Amino acid sequence: MAGVNRGPGAGEEPAGSGAAGVADVAVDGIGKTYDDAGTPVQALDDVSFGVDEGEFVCLVGPSGCGKTTLFRIIAGLTEATDGEVRVAGAPVTGPTTDMGVVFQEYHLFPWLTVEENVGFGLERTDVSAAERERRVDEMLDLVGLAEFRDSYPKSLSGGMKQRVAIARSLAVDPELLLMDEPFGAVDAQTREMLQRELLDVWASTGKTVLFVTHDVAEAVTLADRIAVMAAEPGRVAEIVDVDVARPRERGDPAFGEHVARVRELIGAGP
Amino acid sequence: MATDTGGEFDGSELRAGLGLDDPRRLLRGAAGLAGFVALWHLVSLTQPPLVLPSPVAVAAEFRGQLASGAMPEALASSIRHWVPGTIAGTGLGVAAGVAFAWSGLLDDVSAPLVRLLRPVPPLALIGFAIAWFGLNHAGAAFIIAVGGFWINFYATYGAVEGVSDDLLDVGRTLGVRGDLDMIRSIVVPASLPGITTGIRTGLGRCWMLVIAAEIFSVPGVGREILRASNNLRVDRAIAYIFVLSLMYLVVDVAFRAVQRRVLAWQA
Repeated sequence: MAGVNRGPGAGEEPAGSGAAGVADVAVDGIGKTYDDAGTPVQALDDVSFGVDEGEFVCLVGPSGCGKTTLFRIIAGLTEATDGEVRVAGAPVTGPTTDMGVVFQEYHLFPWLTVEENVGFGLERTDVSAAERERRVDEMLDLVGLAEFRDSYPKSLSGGMKQRVAIARSLAVDPELLLMDEPFGAVDAQTREMLQRELLDVWASTGKTVLFVTHDVAEAVTLADRIAVMAAEPGRVAEIVDVDVARPRERGDPAFGEHVARVRELIGAGP
Repeated sequence: MATDTGGEFDGSELRAGLGLDDPRRLLRGAAGLAGFVALWHLVSLTQPPLVLPSPVAVAAEFRGQLASGAMPEALASSIRHWVPGTIAGTGLGVAAGVAFAWSGLLDDVSAPLVRLLRPVPPLALIGFAIAWFGLNHAGAAFIIAVGGFWINFYATYGAVEGVSDDLLDVGRTLGVRGDLDMIRSIVVPASLPGITTGIRTGLGRCWMLVIAAEIFSVPGVGREILRASNNLRVDRAIAYIFVLSLMYLVVDVAFRAVQRRVLAWQA
């Protein structure tokens, strides 16, 4: 787990290791109603759950259950109609660098190299140029892309792009990592590899992670707890603890039981 | 895996811009050009020089004008209003395009005005050019700037409107704050392909406007074309038209080289 040595020479330790960079999340009575050509549509109704410091929580649910709306509200990109989100006790009022956000479609800046993408957020902080460079190096090592630092995103595969996006979001040392179906656009093989890598990153940084997915097996592979959402209106139906030791194998009966349980809650059948 | 590091300028952009990197294409282009000149020559044999002078006559006139110093002088004069006019039109067009596309308020306020002013041809503004600037380089530069402005305005406006909201969201989560920071670090770089295409189109348009700008007797290539036409010196008119073509070619090739370099990140 997280080390505490943050000085130069602590090459293996990513920036932000240590308890200072970790936060708990409280989603408290979130409701969202939007206007669809004059008719109010309730996208989310009284959604409440918590994420503990350093915990890995997945949010799963059928399409149309408001997962992405909820994700955007937590990230401060969309305003809620009711309720509030608190990160480390402070209400979220807009996007903040306390939260690293990773989207499904990567959204790398195509005009910047890998290195410049990763360093983008750091340029807006008061860290020195030398420290910035060190952190970018560290992040590139963390996601295994050091040799592609001078490449432009166009020349990278989907999996590599998502690694860059993860490194970019972690570089500013956020307290929380928010991910919206981050592995939804890559092939199955790459997806499993990225899942393993994400767990490694999580273990080495100790970040709090909130991960949105529609893939139940992915949620069971990754999460400490799974918040299962239901649709119309979007709400949290149940929170499932995943009591399976890591690394988790899909062939493990306990794994299968959890998958079946979550699928049943979603109503997607076994 | 390709790694674009944007190395030192080695002239490859320039060669690509001139089409020198593809010999077969170059050969075909040369053949097309030669065919055109040959056809022109054949047709000119059946016509009086007043209607269509032969390429040989035009070339002789070109050499004569070049040797007498009249042509370099006219070109230097045209450049003296083309450069400031183009820079002002391009700069203001890009700036206004970014500002109006980014700000909903500015857009709302200006939209009717833009629609009203857009169809006014630069030539129609000659009276204003004379009244405001006089019969001089500044007046001619004004005409050129107006034409360059609109091309750059619309190209930039469209490019900025097309910037994905997702990139802006990513910027916000990475600490981009305020309109200026957003414009500088995301909006402009993301719209650069569209903006540079607009600039390139505008550079050509500004050369065309040299004729309009010199219609009220500001000296330059355009005035020489108009004068030669009035005096039925078709050979001289064509010789000066070639000067405009050559200038356009030079500027376009140079700008394409810059564009390729600036947009090296593009597929």
